[in-house]
Amino acid sequence: MQTSRSLQPLAALLLTAAGAALLYLGRAEEPRDRALLDAAATGQVLDEVGDGLTRVLSYSPDGLDLTEDAARDVLRGRAAEQYRTLFARVREEAPAQGTSMRTRVVRAGAVELTGDHAVVLVFLDQTSVREGGRESRPAAAQLTVTARYEDGRWRITELKAT
Amino acid sequence: MEGGVRTRRVLLALTLVTALCAVWSGWSWYAAAHDGEAAFSRLREHVLREGTQAVQDLNTLDYRDLERGLDRWEAATTGELHRQITAGRADFARQVTKAGTVTRARVLDGAVAELDERAGRARLLFAVRMTLAPPGAEPVDKRMRLIADLTRTSGGWKADALSQAPGSAA
Repeated sequence: MQTSRSLQPLAALLLTAAGAALLYLGRAEEPRDRALLDAAATGQVLDEVGDGLTRVLSYSPDGLDLTEDAARDVLRGRAAEQYRTLFARVREEAPAQGTSMRTRVVRAGAVELTGDHAVVLVFLDQTSVREGGRESRPAAAQLTVTARYEDGRWRITELKAT
Repeated sequence: MEGGVRTRRVLLALTLVTALCAVWSGWSWYAAAHDGEAAFSRLREHVLREGTQAVQDLNTLDYRDLERGLDRWEAATTGELHRQITAGRADFARQVTKAGTVTRARVLDGAVAELDERAGRARLLFAVRMTLAPPGAEPVDKRMRLIADLTRTSGGWKADALSQAPGSAA
Protein backbone atom coordinates (compact mmCIF):
# COMPACT_ATOMS: atom_id res chain seq x y z
CA MET A 1 0.00 0.00 0.00
CA GLN A 2 1.06 3.65 -0.36
CA THR A 3 1.41 4.06 3.44
CA SER A 4 3.81 1.25 4.18
CA ARG A 5 6.07 1.84 1.16
CA SER A 6 6.91 5.43 2.12
CA LEU A 7 7.63 4.44 5.69
CA GLN A 8 9.82 1.48 4.84
CA PRO A 9 13.12 3.42 4.82
CA LEU A 10 12.35 4.92 8.24
CA ALA A 11 11.37 1.56 9.68
CA ALA A 12 14.51 0.00 8.27
CA LEU A 13 16.63 2.76 9.83
CA LEU A 14 14.99 2.22 13.22
CA LEU A 15 15.55 -1.52 13.10
CA THR A 16 19.20 -1.05 12.12
CA ALA A 17 19.76 1.46 14.91
CA ALA A 18 18.12 -0.80 17.46
CA GLY A 19 20.13 -3.78 16.24
CA ALA A 20 23.40 -1.86 16.34
CA ALA A 21 22.65 -0.60 19.84
CA LEU A 22 22.00 -4.12 21.06
CA LEU A 23 25.25 -5.36 19.51
CA TYR A 24 27.18 -2.50 21.14
CA LEU A 25 25.60 -3.18 24.53
CA GLY A 26 26.38 -6.87 24.18
CA ARG A 27 30.04 -6.20 23.44
CA ALA A 28 30.33 -3.88 26.40
CA GLU A 29 29.34 -6.71 28.73
CA GLU A 30 32.72 -8.41 28.21
CA PRO A 31 34.71 -8.36 31.47
CA ARG A 32 36.73 -5.17 31.76
CA ASP A 33 39.44 -4.30 34.28
CA ARG A 34 37.54 -2.57 37.07
CA ALA A 35 40.53 -1.99 39.39
CA LEU A 36 39.98 1.37 41.12
CA LEU A 37 37.14 2.13 38.71
CA ASP A 38 34.77 0.14 40.91
CA ALA A 39 35.71 1.41 44.36
CA ALA A 40 33.48 -1.02 46.25
CA ALA A 41 34.70 -4.11 44.39
CA THR A 42 38.32 -2.96 44.70
CA GLY A 43 37.89 -2.40 48.43
CA GLN A 44 36.35 -5.84 48.81
CA VAL A 45 39.14 -7.71 47.03
CA LEU A 46 41.83 -5.83 48.99
CA ASP A 47 40.08 -6.53 52.31
CA GLU A 48 39.46 -10.21 51.63
CA VAL A 49 42.91 -10.93 50.18
CA GLY A 50 44.57 -9.01 53.01
CA ASP A 51 42.49 -10.79 55.62
CA GLY A 52 43.24 -14.16 54.02
CA LEU A 53 47.00 -13.51 54.00
CA THR A 54 46.98 -12.42 57.63
CA ARG A 55 45.19 -15.59 58.66
CA VAL A 56 47.29 -18.09 56.69
CA LEU A 57 50.65 -16.46 57.38
CA SER A 58 50.18 -16.08 61.14
CA TYR A 59 50.43 -18.95 63.59
CA SER A 60 51.13 -19.87 67.18
CA PRO A 61 52.55 -23.20 68.38
CA ASP A 62 49.25 -24.15 70.11
CA GLY A 63 47.02 -22.78 67.37
CA LEU A 64 48.37 -24.48 64.27
CA ASP A 65 45.00 -26.09 63.55
CA LEU A 66 43.43 -22.63 63.29
CA THR A 67 45.99 -21.59 60.72
CA GLU A 68 45.54 -24.80 58.77
CA ASP A 69 41.76 -24.32 58.76
CA ALA A 70 42.24 -20.78 57.44
CA ALA A 71 44.45 -22.16 54.67
CA ARG A 72 41.79 -24.66 53.69
CA ASP A 73 39.29 -21.81 53.53
CA VAL A 74 41.43 -19.22 51.77
CA LEU A 75 43.87 -21.03 49.47
CA ARG A 76 43.25 -22.81 46.17
CA GLY A 77 45.30 -24.30 43.35
CA ARG A 78 49.04 -23.71 43.28
CA ALA A 79 48.93 -21.57 46.42
CA ALA A 80 47.34 -24.42 48.36
CA GLU A 81 50.03 -26.85 47.13
CA GLN A 82 52.94 -24.54 47.93
CA TYR A 83 51.50 -23.86 51.33
CA ARG A 84 51.17 -27.55 52.23
CA THR A 85 54.94 -28.01 51.86
CA LEU A 86 55.68 -24.86 53.86
CA PHE A 87 53.23 -25.69 56.58
CA ALA A 88 54.56 -29.22 57.07
CA ARG A 89 57.83 -27.66 58.18
CA VAL A 90 56.06 -25.17 60.45
CA ARG A 91 54.20 -28.05 62.11
CA GLU A 92 57.51 -29.71 62.90
CA GLU A 93 59.50 -26.71 64.06
CA ALA A 94 57.08 -24.28 65.71
CA PRO A 95 55.97 -26.43 68.63
CA ALA A 96 59.56 -27.54 69.27
CA GLN A 97 60.93 -23.99 69.23
CA GLY A 98 57.83 -22.32 70.65
CA THR A 99 57.85 -19.63 67.97
CA SER A 100 54.83 -17.69 66.73
CA MET A 101 54.49 -15.65 63.56
CA ARG A 102 52.42 -12.53 63.23
CA THR A 103 51.73 -11.18 59.75
CA ARG A 104 50.26 -7.78 59.07
CA VAL A 105 49.27 -6.05 55.83
CA VAL A 106 51.02 -2.67 55.54
CA ARG A 107 49.69 -1.67 52.10
CA ALA A 108 47.76 -3.32 49.30
CA GLY A 109 46.84 -2.24 45.79
CA ALA A 110 44.83 -3.85 43.01
CA VAL A 111 46.90 -4.53 39.92
CA GLU A 112 43.99 -6.08 38.04
CA LEU A 113 40.31 -6.79 38.73
CA THR A 114 38.49 -8.50 35.87
CA GLY A 115 35.26 -10.39 36.53
CA ASP A 116 36.14 -13.09 39.04
CA HIS A 117 39.92 -12.77 38.60
CA ALA A 118 42.15 -10.37 40.53
CA VAL A 119 45.84 -9.61 41.02
CA VAL A 120 46.87 -7.70 44.15
CA LEU A 121 50.23 -6.29 45.25
CA VAL A 122 50.64 -6.57 49.03
CA PHE A 123 53.28 -5.20 51.39
CA LEU A 124 53.52 -7.36 54.53
CA ASP A 125 55.30 -7.08 57.85
CA GLN A 126 56.14 -10.40 59.49
CA THR A 127 57.17 -10.53 63.13
CA SER A 128 58.33 -13.75 64.72
CA VAL A 129 57.94 -14.13 68.46
CA ARG A 130 60.25 -16.48 70.32
CA GLU A 131 59.33 -18.46 73.39
CA GLY A 132 59.34 -16.00 76.26
CA GLY A 133 57.82 -13.23 74.17
CA ARG A 134 60.89 -11.75 72.53
CA GLU A 135 59.91 -10.25 69.18
CA SER A 136 62.09 -9.98 66.11
CA ARG A 137 62.22 -6.76 64.14
CA PRO A 138 59.45 -6.97 61.52
CA ALA A 139 60.65 -8.45 58.24
CA ALA A 140 59.30 -6.71 55.15
CA ALA A 141 57.83 -8.82 52.39
CA GLN A 142 56.20 -7.99 49.08
CA LEU A 143 53.80 -10.45 47.49
CA THR A 144 51.96 -10.50 44.19
CA VAL A 145 48.76 -12.39 44.91
CA THR A 146 46.42 -13.89 42.32
CA ALA A 147 42.87 -14.53 43.48
CA ARG A 148 39.64 -16.02 42.17
CA TYR A 149 36.13 -15.18 43.35
CA GLU A 150 34.51 -18.46 44.32
CA ASP A 151 31.56 -19.36 46.57
CA GLY A 152 30.99 -15.86 47.86
CA ARG A 153 34.56 -14.74 48.60
CA TRP A 154 37.96 -14.18 47.11
CA ARG A 155 40.28 -17.21 47.33
CA ILE A 156 44.01 -17.00 46.79
CA THR A 157 45.28 -19.16 43.93
CA GLU A 158 48.87 -17.96 43.66
CA LEU A 159 51.43 -16.29 45.91
CA LYS A 160 54.61 -14.86 44.45
CA ALA A 161 57.27 -13.04 46.42
CA THR A 162 58.32 -9.91 44.52
CA MET B 1 -10.65 8.67 2.69
CA GLU B 2 -7.49 10.56 1.47
CA GLY B 3 -7.32 12.59 4.72
CA GLY B 4 -7.58 9.43 6.85
CA VAL B 5 -4.75 7.59 5.09
CA ARG B 6 -2.50 10.63 5.28
CA THR B 7 -3.21 11.09 9.00
CA ARG B 8 -2.41 7.43 9.64
CA ARG B 9 0.81 7.80 7.69
CA VAL B 10 1.85 10.88 9.65
CA LEU B 11 1.05 9.24 12.99
CA LEU B 12 3.02 6.15 12.08
CA ALA B 13 5.95 8.27 10.98
CA LEU B 14 5.85 10.21 14.25
CA THR B 15 5.76 6.99 16.25
CA LEU B 16 8.76 5.62 14.41
CA VAL B 17 10.73 8.86 14.85
CA THR B 18 9.93 8.96 18.58
CA ALA B 19 11.01 5.37 18.98
CA LEU B 20 14.21 6.09 17.05
CA CYS B 21 14.97 9.04 19.33
CA ALA B 22 14.45 6.89 22.40
CA VAL B 23 16.84 4.24 21.15
CA TRP B 24 19.36 6.89 20.19
CA SER B 25 19.32 8.72 23.55
CA GLY B 26 19.50 5.44 25.46
CA TRP B 27 22.47 4.40 23.35
CA SER B 28 24.19 7.81 23.77
CA TRP B 29 23.81 7.72 27.53
CA TYR B 30 25.19 4.21 27.77
CA ALA B 31 28.04 4.97 25.39
CA ALA B 32 28.96 8.08 27.37
CA ALA B 33 29.04 6.19 30.66
CA HIS B 34 31.02 3.39 29.03
CA ASP B 35 33.48 5.88 27.51
CA GLY B 36 33.96 7.61 30.88
CA GLU B 37 34.83 4.29 32.50
CA ALA B 38 37.14 3.26 29.68
CA ALA B 39 38.89 6.64 29.93
CA PHE B 40 39.44 6.18 33.67
CA SER B 41 40.92 2.71 33.17
CA ARG B 42 43.20 4.03 30.41
CA LEU B 43 44.32 6.83 32.72
CA ARG B 44 45.07 4.34 35.48
CA GLU B 45 47.27 2.33 33.12
CA HIS B 46 48.97 5.51 31.88
CA VAL B 47 49.70 6.69 35.43
CA LEU B 48 51.11 3.25 36.31
CA ARG B 49 53.46 3.40 33.30
CA GLU B 50 54.61 6.93 34.13
CA GLY B 51 55.10 6.00 37.80
CA THR B 52 57.05 2.88 36.89
CA GLN B 53 59.43 4.89 34.70
CA ALA B 54 59.84 7.61 37.35
CA VAL B 55 60.59 5.12 40.14
CA GLN B 56 63.14 3.26 38.02
CA ASP B 57 64.80 6.52 37.00
CA LEU B 58 64.92 7.81 40.57
CA ASN B 59 66.66 4.67 41.80
CA THR B 60 69.14 4.41 38.96
CA LEU B 61 72.42 6.31 39.03
CA ASP B 62 75.90 5.69 37.65
CA TYR B 63 78.74 7.98 38.77
CA ARG B 64 80.24 7.57 35.27
CA ASP B 65 77.12 9.04 33.63
CA LEU B 66 76.13 11.37 36.41
CA GLU B 67 74.80 14.49 34.69
CA ARG B 68 72.43 12.53 32.47
CA GLY B 69 71.23 10.48 35.46
CA LEU B 70 70.52 13.56 37.54
CA ASP B 71 68.83 15.23 34.56
CA ARG B 72 66.48 12.23 34.49
CA TRP B 73 65.84 12.69 38.21
CA GLU B 74 64.87 16.32 37.66
CA ALA B 75 62.67 15.39 34.69
CA ALA B 76 60.84 12.70 36.67
CA THR B 77 59.91 14.96 39.57
CA THR B 78 57.82 17.96 40.51
CA GLY B 79 56.95 19.93 43.63
CA GLU B 80 58.91 19.43 46.83
CA LEU B 81 60.83 16.38 45.60
CA HIS B 82 61.97 18.28 42.52
CA ARG B 83 63.04 21.23 44.66
CA GLN B 84 65.15 19.00 46.91
CA ILE B 85 66.86 17.34 43.96
CA THR B 86 67.74 20.56 42.14
CA ALA B 87 68.78 22.44 45.31
CA GLY B 88 71.14 19.69 46.48
CA ARG B 89 72.37 18.56 43.05
CA ALA B 90 75.94 19.85 43.13
CA ASP B 91 76.69 18.48 46.60
CA PHE B 92 75.05 15.18 45.82
CA ALA B 93 76.99 14.83 42.54
CA ARG B 94 80.26 15.26 44.46
CA GLN B 95 79.29 12.58 47.00
CA VAL B 96 78.21 10.10 44.32
CA THR B 97 81.43 10.56 42.35
CA LYS B 98 83.50 10.11 45.48
CA ALA B 99 81.60 6.96 46.51
CA GLY B 100 81.65 5.47 42.99
CA THR B 101 77.95 4.71 43.20
CA VAL B 102 76.41 2.49 40.55
CA THR B 103 72.78 1.49 41.07
CA ARG B 104 70.18 0.10 38.72
CA ALA B 105 66.51 -0.30 39.58
CA ARG B 106 63.77 -2.42 38.14
CA VAL B 107 60.10 -2.38 39.13
CA LEU B 108 58.97 -5.98 39.75
CA ASP B 109 55.32 -5.11 40.27
CA GLY B 110 53.22 -2.00 40.76
CA ALA B 111 49.68 -0.95 41.53
CA VAL B 112 47.75 2.32 41.56
CA ALA B 113 46.28 2.59 45.05
CA GLU B 114 44.54 5.97 44.58
CA LEU B 115 43.68 8.02 41.52
CA ASP B 116 41.92 11.39 41.53
CA GLU B 117 41.56 12.31 37.87
CA ARG B 118 40.01 15.70 38.58
CA ALA B 119 42.71 16.84 40.99
CA GLY B 120 45.41 15.11 38.92
CA ARG B 121 46.90 13.16 41.85
CA ALA B 122 47.73 9.50 42.29
CA ARG B 123 49.36 7.22 44.86
CA LEU B 124 51.18 4.12 43.66
CA LEU B 125 52.79 1.09 45.28
CA PHE B 126 55.89 -0.54 43.83
CA ALA B 127 57.94 -3.65 44.59
CA VAL B 128 61.42 -2.75 43.34
CA ARG B 129 64.68 -4.63 42.90
CA MET B 130 67.68 -2.36 43.17
CA THR B 131 71.07 -3.70 42.13
CA LEU B 132 74.17 -2.09 43.58
CA ALA B 133 77.03 -2.78 41.18
CA PRO B 134 80.08 -0.68 41.94
CA PRO B 135 82.91 -1.51 39.52
CA GLY B 136 85.14 -4.28 40.74
CA ALA B 137 82.65 -5.65 43.30
CA GLU B 138 80.00 -8.38 43.18
CA PRO B 139 76.58 -6.90 42.40
CA VAL B 140 74.20 -6.96 45.34
CA ASP B 141 70.41 -7.01 45.05
CA LYS B 142 68.21 -5.12 47.42
CA ARG B 143 64.42 -5.45 47.58
CA MET B 144 62.45 -2.31 48.28
CA ARG B 145 58.82 -1.45 48.68
CA LEU B 146 58.07 2.10 47.62
CA ILE B 147 55.14 4.45 47.78
CA ALA B 148 55.14 7.11 45.06
CA ASP B 149 52.85 10.13 44.89
CA LEU B 150 52.34 11.48 41.38
CA THR B 151 50.91 14.80 40.23
CA ARG B 152 49.74 15.73 36.75
CA THR B 153 51.81 18.58 35.34
CA SER B 154 51.93 20.21 31.92
CA GLY B 155 54.84 17.86 31.19
CA GLY B 156 53.06 14.69 32.24
CA TRP B 157 52.58 12.84 35.53
CA LYS B 158 55.59 13.34 37.81
CA ALA B 159 56.59 12.21 41.29
CA ASP B 160 56.31 14.77 44.06
CA ALA B 161 56.99 12.28 46.86
CA LEU B 162 58.75 8.94 47.08
CA SER B 163 59.31 6.89 50.23
CA GLN B 164 59.81 3.38 51.51
CA ALA B 165 56.67 1.84 52.97
CA PRO B 166 57.00 2.16 56.73
CA GLY B 167 56.77 -0.74 59.13
CA SER B 168 53.45 0.49 60.50
CA ALA B 169 50.18 1.08 58.66
CA ALA B 170 49.97 4.85 58.16
